[in-house]
Amino acid sequence: MHRPTMSRRLFVLLNTLLLTTITVLGIIPFIHLLSISLSSNTAAMAGEVKLWPVGFNVDAYRYLGEKVEFFLSFGVSLERVVLGTAVNMFLIFITAYPLSKSKEQFKHRTLYVWFFAITMFFGGGLIPTYITVKNTGLIDSIWALILPGALNVWNMVLMLNFFRTIPKELDEAATIDGAGHWRVLWSIYLPVSLPSIATIGLFTIVGHWNSWFDGILYLNSPEKYPLQTYLSTLIMSINSQMTSISIEQLKAMENLSEKTLRTAQIFMGALPIMLVYPFLQKYFVKGITVGSVKE
Amino acid sequence: MRTLKKEYLLHLMLLPGVIVTLIYAYGPMVGLVMAFQQFEPLSGFFHSEFVGFENFQYVFGLPDFKQVMWNTLVISVFKMVLHLLVPLILALLLNEVTRKWFSRFVQSAIFLPFFLSWTVLGGVIIELFSLSGPVNGLLTAFHLEPIMFMLDNDWFRGIIIGSDVWKGMGYNMIVMLAAIAGINANLYEAAEVDGAGKWKQMLHITLPGMAPIVILLAVLSLGGILNAGFEQILIMYNPTVYEGSDIIDTFVYRLGMFSQQFGPAAAVGLFKSVISLVLVSVTYYAAYKYNNYRIF
Amino acid sequence: MKRIKLWKMILLATLSLFVISACSGQGKEPASSQPQTETKEEGGTAAAPPDPLGKYPETVTVTEVMGFNPPEDPRTPKGITPEQNAYLKDLKEMLNIEVKYKWTVPSSQFSQKFSLALASGDLPDILELDGKNFEKLKKQGMLADLTEAYNDYASPTLKKYMESDGGFAMKTYSQDGKQLGIPAFEDPFLSTQLLWIRKDWLDNLKLEPPKTMDELEMVAKAFVQQDPDQNGKNDTYGLVLQKNLFFWGFDARGFFNGFGAYPSMGDGQTAWIQDGSGKLIPGLIQPEVKTALGKLQSWYKEGILDKEFALKDENKAVEDITAGKVGISYGEWWYPNWPLNLNVDKDPNANWIAIQIPGLDGPGKSLVPKIRGDKVYAVNKKMKNPEAAIKMINFYIEMGNKEYLNQNQAEKGYVYNWFSPRIYNPAQIETIYTEVNKALEANQTEITLDDENYKNVADVFKATKDYLAGDTSNASKGVNWGQYFSRAAKDGGWGLTRQIKEKQAFVNHEFYGLPTATQVEKGAQLDKLMQETFTKIIMGSSVDEFDKFVASWKSLGGDEITQEVNDWYSQQAVK
Repeated sequence: MHRPTMSRRLFVLLNTLLLTTITVLGIIPFIHLLSISLSSNTAAMAGEVKLWPVGFNVDAYRYLGEKVEFFLSFGVSLERVVLGTAVNMFLIFITAYPLSKSKEQFKHRTLYVWFFAITMFFGGGLIPTYITVKNTGLIDSIWALILPGALNVWNMVLMLNFFRTIPKELDEAATIDGAGHWRVLWSIYLPVSLPSIATIGLFTIVGHWNSWFDGILYLNSPEKYPLQTYLSTLIMSINSQMTSISIEQLKAMENLSEKTLRTAQIFMGALPIMLVYPFLQKYFVKGITVGSVKE
Repeated sequence: MRTLKKEYLLHLMLLPGVIVTLIYAYGPMVGLVMAFQQFEPLSGFFHSEFVGFENFQYVFGLPDFKQVMWNTLVISVFKMVLHLLVPLILALLLNEVTRKWFSRFVQSAIFLPFFLSWTVLGGVIIELFSLSGPVNGLLTAFHLEPIMFMLDNDWFRGIIIGSDVWKGMGYNMIVMLAAIAGINANLYEAAEVDGAGKWKQMLHITLPGMAPIVILLAVLSLGGILNAGFEQILIMYNPTVYEGSDIIDTFVYRLGMFSQQFGPAAAVGLFKSVISLVLVSVTYYAAYKYNNYRIF
Repeated sequence: MKRIKLWKMILLATLSLFVISACSGQGKEPASSQPQTETKEEGGTAAAPPDPLGKYPETVTVTEVMGFNPPEDPRTPKGITPEQNAYLKDLKEMLNIEVKYKWTVPSSQFSQKFSLALASGDLPDILELDGKNFEKLKKQGMLADLTEAYNDYASPTLKKYMESDGGFAMKTYSQDGKQLGIPAFEDPFLSTQLLWIRKDWLDNLKLEPPKTMDELEMVAKAFVQQDPDQNGKNDTYGLVLQKNLFFWGFDARGFFNGFGAYPSMGDGQTAWIQDGSGKLIPGLIQPEVKTALGKLQSWYKEGILDKEFALKDENKAVEDITAGKVGISYGEWWYPNWPLNLNVDKDPNANWIAIQIPGLDGPGKSLVPKIRGDKVYAVNKKMKNPEAAIKMINFYIEMGNKEYLNQNQAEKGYVYNWFSPRIYNPAQIETIYTEVNKALEANQTEITLDDENYKNVADVFKATKDYLAGDTSNASKGVNWGQYFSRAAKDGGWGLTRQIKEKQAFVNHEFYGLPTATQVEKGAQLDKLMQETFTKIIMGSSVDEFDKFVASWKSLGGDEITQEVNDWYSQQAVK
């Protein structure tokens, strides 16, 4: 390797500085949350906690450790992520594959593409969707959180565009060998698409982990809520349309003062994804495909 | 005969996706009739009174509608452009980082804000830009006048746009990184042999290699042209900046808040959908006609 | 070609599936008119004399839906679900009524979920409704007539509650002599505005509690400039205010009332006051409001208000109070209970007192509504045993008695805030106040009262005793003080409110009907216009903007609303 030039070195330095600043910006809210969750409640309520705990204690986490609801919903979320990601990814593969063919290879592709694409812009709205889910008998089951969004068109379009970058020669060679579509997809397309699969897989996992509103709509009892739905019930303050506070609501307001506990749960809710992320990430840093050949 | 059999298989592969989409995406579209009805939940779609285009006239006729429309366009166009530009630059910069651990760490950090809801982030941002916050602390340290960022229409718009880009930039950045990862390594090798520097490699290999994905993301984001970020603005705005940041969605929300006005809400939704579909179709055919490139 | 046809078939089949099922959901409605007669028969043939707490010979299953908050008592067993609520077990044993929840949802999402249930025609037997939904269901004829069930089965205590306001609230929820709902209402005087102020700061600066606006202005200025907390730092401001000028707390209602201005009850919509000639006028556009706005503007300029109040929601306002950054707030009786207790726990010197709101010359008059409470229990017309709902209300009231108290404990799985329908004593606070003070004067160690109010009275009594003895073994000083000073202290939240009520130092908000047609259509716009104009005036634009506001308010629907409200007033209001 030749020695880097002066301007190159300057670039690397500035680049590192810039990226470090952006990194710090991204991490700050998390440190803020973590600090609140580790502070005393009065300090948290007084808004005194910034980036370092005030009145350090781990009571919130200890209490969280005893919270049955938290662990129950955590389990539901895991189940949802595993089932949902499996279904989503499978459907994305088998849908994106035919649509990635050219018009000559697959005559009706454009018709199908628009059939799917239109659903990105048009929806029936909350009530009709609810009625459909109800009519298909999914209410109060975990499938209500999976089936209605089983085919994420956005991600599917991403995938089909990645598929299209696969060199045609690979495709043709396999067909000459007598491989059918099914085998071409599984033994040729998927193995070379690892970076895109990791990317879309990550989005799918994050999507399932973070969505909360469908839980409220389609599930009929809080014991079945996934984690983020459960957390959302803690974050939302009392109905803002309220014009007076009744004695009962007053008690609820007192409970909302447990700010440290709330932040502890928000923090723990984001943690699993943060842990999964680096794991998937190694598939799409350039190291795997480009770097290995290059260095 | 052989090709026919092959095509038949392709149809079969699409079948599960088609069924799911028919049921859960097209089924509920029956609900679009609400836009033309005086919808009452108890009466349902089949017994509510049809009122023609009254809901549309009603919404478009509201006194603030022009201002709201303008705000929506300004905010969303800025967001759209920056949501492409910033991740693109980040992905290119990250691509130049040689230390893998650093690259990974930065990627994780950039993606982090994506996980937090606006309910949580909104509070943090208001705090950052408040009079006693760190940003104003920095200004006073440089002997500048403190600014009430959140109470000034222009600054506030900037903060809305900037914070949304900051929260979401990890997403597109990762798509773009994946695109870079997919570029054929031989191209770089050949370039190096030719004596092309990093800058030239980026200009002539990386950027063209990413072009399809960037164009795709751009066209897809056109579909959201009338979505300027409902939840974010709802959480962060206040009466002094209504003028510059009240968007279609917050506007409709306030209408709906007072009574459940399903009809007008559906009308707005339909209006937004039609605009997006038209925009996306036009770009689709333009790209196909002039570039022979199919976006999807 | 063939393929396309197949395609169309699938499309058609799916759509028609949807249409048919949606239709059948609607089709159920006509059939529902029959059970009404059935109901009456059953009521007639039921066992001889109606017993408010009589046990059914055969299990009656009642469906409900629930918007819940987490159990309020920290001693509640962990992981308990609404179905496991011990109240339901007792209900089954005592009355042979079994409750089935169609769904439960966190209270903040209730209205959304309820709309969906409405839309898909899937309503439970017992309905907990707000005014708007009550009106909707009433119009569609979905509500059962409870007249007979109430007359026959309501326990004497329930009847006493309902008559405590002269039958005013009950009448609001009846139509053509049919009682269509049982309202849960509270004493309207709970809405009385007080001024909460830090006595320790006044003492530090050798100032007296303010009686007039001028005095308040002087005190507030001193709180800004003279370091009332004596920490040597310029870190305090005068009056706490949040971005919603008219809200349920930390807002400016009390301030405006001090000027004889009555802009709103707290919902951003105008309040309606009498003009002296039997008509109602909108308080929001009266000239007094302009004067008050002018004063707020000068306070903002002088730093008495936070420069960024327009960014603060109620949580931020509470943070300032807790942190000891501010020592004056307008609000209702409950402040000590929350959030002043947080400040007391943080700063042992903090000493908050309540005073009547300062007026232009001497104490001012607060705005008070006619009805407080927007919740009503109704019964689905399809339900076979409407009297079961009344019996359940009786049951809940009964469970407050002393004899059940050993059993009725949170740690045994009794979650009271999950039980529905529950009606409270509208005079609950007043009862607590008188009983606790009686017991204190007689130097009792325990509450001797023996009726359904026992539990509520005993809890406050215990906190009061603990607070006065400095005992913090059960709860922190702030929590004990909060219970005592909101409910029991003679000069505390409710104590002072009673005095104001006796002195007649209030003005009534006369409109208590459901929102009128124009209110529904234009209300949100008018609200926005108000918030925008008022906030801008306070932050420095010309006070004369108010005159423009009045003109636009009127033309954008205000005049129509005034007409509608007056029509209602002359025809339907109970005067």
